[in-house]
Amino acid sequence: MSVSEINFVAMYVKDFKMNLEEVIEQTRDFLSEEFEIDRDLILPGSNLKDTLDLDSLDYVDLVVLIEENLNVKISGEDFKGIVTFGDFYNLVQKKLGL
Amino acid sequence: MLLVKDNIIDFIPHRAPFVMVDHLISATRERFESDFYIEESNELVFQGLFQEGGLLENIAQTCAASFGYLDQADGSEPKIGYIGAISRVVLHACPPHSVRINTIVTPTHQLGNIFMVTGQNFLDGRLLLECEMKIVIA
Repeated sequence: MSVSEINFVAMYVKDFKMNLEEVIEQTRDFLSEEFEIDRDLILPGSNLKDTLDLDSLDYVDLVVLIEENLNVKISGEDFKGIVTFGDFYNLVQKKLGL
Repeated sequence: MLLVKDNIIDFIPHRAPFVMVDHLISATRERFESDFYIEESNELVFQGLFQEGGLLENIAQTCAASFGYLDQADGSEPKIGYIGAISRVVLHACPPHSVRINTIVTPTHQLGNIFMVTGQNFLDGRLLLECEMKIVIA
């Protein structure tokens, strides 16, 4: 990788890290679109499973969506600690080092 | 060649005439490959063409047989795989009977006992169908 490419990646990571709010808004966008719900229902205190009406197969879609949109890998173990969207944002924050 | 049809039925719940894989050619955790000769008498041949449902079944059985084979190779009890969901199906062409198709399956994600895979069937290198599947291993 060239110096200019490294600088570009560094700038991207820096910008990404500075925008947790953007990550949250992006999450609301792709989840509302994919699961066909009002994005206003996706609030930090809302229950993730109930709001998105997830069954066990849907969780796999969720893993794929999160990876594609946020570049974050989520495992089955990770989901055990997630009840609300706030929990989810905390996990993403931790994984991205924000 | 890893498995022939007589062994494949140890890893899938299907029985004749609905076994739609002849040979498991290769299987790693990253990629599975099989082949299947479409007999004229195949239950899923209609008006001379092997139907979309047969191509999907072929992908699912390739997947289930491969997971079972890999479990056994690891010294674990082989589990049976079932289709949980099918999505993003694109049918390019239905093959005629009396040809051998090849199938490649790539696992992309895993959550517990549910795997997301992409599957593709080919005839002489020409893509016939592609899709995503969720396979539940139980």
